[in-house]
Amino acid sequence: MSAPTESPVAGAAAPAAPVEKHRVHNSYIWLGSLRAVGLVVVVLVVTSLSSIVSLIELATSGPTDLIGAMLVLGAAAVGVVLLLGLVVLVHYLAYRHLWYELGPHEFTLCSGIISKKRVHVAYPRVQSVDQRASLLQRLFGVCNVTVDTAGGASNKAILVPYLTKQQADTLRNELFARKQSALQGQAAGQQAGAGAGAAGAAAVAATMGTEGTNAAPSAEGAAVAASAAASVASAASPNVLAKGEEAWGVLGGGLFGGEAVDTGAVTYEHGLSNKELVLTGLSNNTAFLVAMLAVLGFVSQASDIVFELVPGSSDVVNGTVTSMVASATAGPLIGLAIGGVMVIALVIWGASLLGACVSYGGFHARRRGDRIEVERGLLQHQLQGVSITRVQSVTVKQSLIRRLLGYCEVSLGKIDAATGEESQQKQNGLANQGLVVHPFVKVSRVPEILAGLVPEFADMPTEQQHLPKPALRRGIVRRTLWQGGGFWLAVTVAVLQVILNAVLSDPSVWDDPRDMWVLPMLNMFAIAFYVLAAVLAVLDVVGAVLWYRHSSFAVSRRFMQVTNSGLSTETVTFPRQKIQFGCARANPLQRRARTATIQARTAAGVGGTTVRLIDVSDEEAAGWLDWLKPRTA
Amino acid sequence: MKEPPSEHLDPRIKSVWRINDALSVALLAIVFIVPFALVGVLADDASWAFIVVLAEVVAAIVALVLVVAVVPPIRYARWRYELSPEYLDIACGIIWRKRYVIPFIRVQNTDTQQGPILRAFGLSSVTVATAAGDHHIPGVDNATAELLRDKAAELARLAREDV
Repeated sequence: MSAPTESPVAGAAAPAAPVEKHRVHNSYIWLGSLRAVGLVVVVLVVTSLSSIVSLIELATSGPTDLIGAMLVLGAAAVGVVLLLGLVVLVHYLAYRHLWYELGPHEFTLCSGIISKKRVHVAYPRVQSVDQRASLLQRLFGVCNVTVDTAGGASNKAILVPYLTKQQADTLRNELFARKQSALQGQAAGQQAGAGAGAAGAAAVAATMGTEGTNAAPSAEGAAVAASAAASVASAASPNVLAKGEEAWGVLGGGLFGGEAVDTGAVTYEHGLSNKELVLTGLSNNTAFLVAMLAVLGFVSQASDIVFELVPGSSDVVNGTVTSMVASATAGPLIGLAIGGVMVIALVIWGASLLGACVSYGGFHARRRGDRIEVERGLLQHQLQGVSITRVQSVTVKQSLIRRLLGYCEVSLGKIDAATGEESQQKQNGLANQGLVVHPFVKVSRVPEILAGLVPEFADMPTEQQHLPKPALRRGIVRRTLWQGGGFWLAVTVAVLQVILNAVLSDPSVWDDPRDMWVLPMLNMFAIAFYVLAAVLAVLDVVGAVLWYRHSSFAVSRRFMQVTNSGLSTETVTFPRQKIQFGCARANPLQRRARTATIQARTAAGVGGTTVRLIDVSDEEAAGWLDWLKPRTA
Repeated sequence: MKEPPSEHLDPRIKSVWRINDALSVALLAIVFIVPFALVGVLADDASWAFIVVLAEVVAAIVALVLVVAVVPPIRYARWRYELSPEYLDIACGIIWRKRYVIPFIRVQNTDTQQGPILRAFGLSSVTVATAAGDHHIPGVDNATAELLRDKAAELARLAREDV
C-alpha cells in the first residue's frame, strides 16, 4: 500500500495481525483548505463590500486619511492571513486525525479533532463503494469514496475524502474481496490474502499480501485480466468523449493518481457510441416539452383561424372596430409569447443535450467479478460499484420519444443511502433513476446487455398476465377524469370563465365601457384552452388504451416482472427474494369489477420502492399472493 | 378474493379503539369549537359564531357516534391476521381492503408496545419491520404478542443475508 505519509509503526511487537492505518492523501489539507478559503473570501467580500467602497473614498480624499486607510487595509490583510492559517491548521489537524483501517472483520474510519468518531462497518454489510471526483480533484488524481451499507431508511453512507485513485481502487477492491470471503464463511483478514480462489479475489490477494506492501500483481492474475480486457475491447464502443477519458489516462489519472491497480477480471463491458450519447440528450423529457410547445403553438394558430371564421360571435357584444383591435393586439401577443417560450425551451433543450454529454461522457458499465461498475462524467467523474447481491431490480424505461425511436434506458435498482451529496442529487432528480447502466440503447440489445452485466437475471418470466376487460373501462375513467390533466384544465378554465363573465359583464365595473372588448378576448382564450384540454384528454385516452393493452405482470419461479405502459412504458424485473412484502388492495369499485391492485415492495432507493399494477383480476392477485409465500424446500 | 386469514384480533380492541378515537374526536372538537364560542360570547352581534358552534357540535356528535358505535365492529370484523410458520398474512381495511403477505425471513425486527389504554385492557400491539416498511398488529393479548414476537425474531435470524 502506498499510503503517502507513513507506514505502520506497529511492527514485530504485535503478535496479532497488525492493522495498518491508512491516511488519506495530503491534498486533503491544501485542496480542502482552498475550497473553504474560497468560500470564506467570497462571503467576506460580499458582506464587507460597502466598507471597502467607503475605505476607497477615504483613501482618495486626503493624505492623512490615506495612512488611516493603509492601516485598516493592513489590519484586514493580517486578518485574512490569520484566517487562512486557521483554516489550514484546522484541516491539518483534521488530516492528522483522519484514517481508516481494514481490520480482520470490519472497516473502520476514525475522524474528529476534539470529539473523536469511529465508524465501523462489518465487511458483509458493505453494499456499494462509489468514487466521485470534482474537476479540481480529478486534476490532482484524488477522489472521494463513499461506502454504503444496507441499513434501511436511516442509513448513512460513510465518506472517505481525498484518496488517490490508486488508494481508492485498492480500497474498493479489498472491501469487496473481504466481503466475499467473509460471506463464504472463511476467516477474514490474512486468509483473504491467501487467495480465496475466486477470480476476482486472485489479483486482490497479490496487492494485499501479508506484509502489506505494494507487491506487483501475480502473473496469473495479470494474465487473466489482460485476456479479459482484450476480449471486451471489441464489445466496448467508446465515443468521442471517451478520447478525453483516454487523455486523463495519459496524464496518469491526475497528478497524484498513482499507478493503476488491477482490480479483477472484467467479464463484460460496454460504453456509449457517439450516436447514442447525442440521442440521449436529444430524447429526454425536455424534448417532450418542446414537442408539447409545438402542439400549443399549433393550437393557438388554429384558434386564431377559428376566430377569423366566426367574427360574428364577438360582434354581438361590441363592434367590428373593437374586434379588429382585439385580433390586432392579441394575435402578435400570443405569437410573441409562444415564440419566446419556444426559444426558451430550445435553449433548455440544448443545455440538456450538453448536460447529458457532460454527465454521460466517458460512460462505461462493466461486470467485474461479482460486482457491477458504472463509470461516467466528463468533468465530475464518478465510479459506482455495486455488489450483485445488492441489486434489487432491473428497470427498462421508455419515454414517449424513445419508444417511437425504439430505444430505452436500462437501470438497476439498489438500496441508496442518505448522505449530503446524495440528497443534493435527489433534488436534481437523478437518484430516483437508480444506477443507470445504459441511458440509451436499442430495445433489441437489452437482453445482450443484461446477459453480460447481470447474468443472474437471466431466468426472466415470459408468460405475461394481461389485464382483464374491466381494466380498460376503469383505466380510461381514471386516466381521463381523476388523473386527467385535460379534464381538470377544462374544469378550471370553465370555472374561471363563469366567474369572469359574471363579474365583467356588468358595465358598472368598467371605468371606460369601451374596454369591454377584453371580455370576448378572454372567452377566445378560453376556447383555445378548451382545444388544448381536448387534445390532452385525447392523449389521456390513448395513454389509457395503451396502458390496458401493454401492461402486464409475470412471475416465474424466481422472478417477477411488472410492465406499466401508457404513452411511456416501464418494465421492472425483480427477484422474489428481494420482495420485502406484497399487498393486494381493492376499493369497492374494484371489488365490483372483480379486480385488485397488486403492490410489491422492495428495498431499492431510500426507504423502499413500491412496484404497482392496478386492476389485475382478483384471482390472479390471490395467486400472486400465494406465489409470494415462502416455499419450504 | 380468497378466504380471509383465520385469526381475529382480541375483541377488547374494540373498546380500545372507541376510547382512543373518542378522545381524539373530543380534542379536535374542543380545538375547533372553543375559538368560535369565545367570539360568540365576547363579541357583540356575533350570532353567526353560534351557528358555527352549533354546526360543529352536530358534526362532533355524528363523529362520536361513528367512532363509538358504527366503525369499531366493522373494523374488527375486517381486521384478520394469520401467523403461518413462514409468513404473516394480514387483511384489513373497510373501504380499501388490503391483504398483506410478509415473509418472516424478510423481517428485520419486531417490537411489542403498550400504551396506557392498551395496558388497561391487557393488550399489546406488535410492530413487524422489514427493510422497506413497518406493519402494526394493533391489539392482541400479551401471550400472543410474545409468541408472535419470538417467532418473527427466530425466523428473522434464520434469514439469509439478502436485503
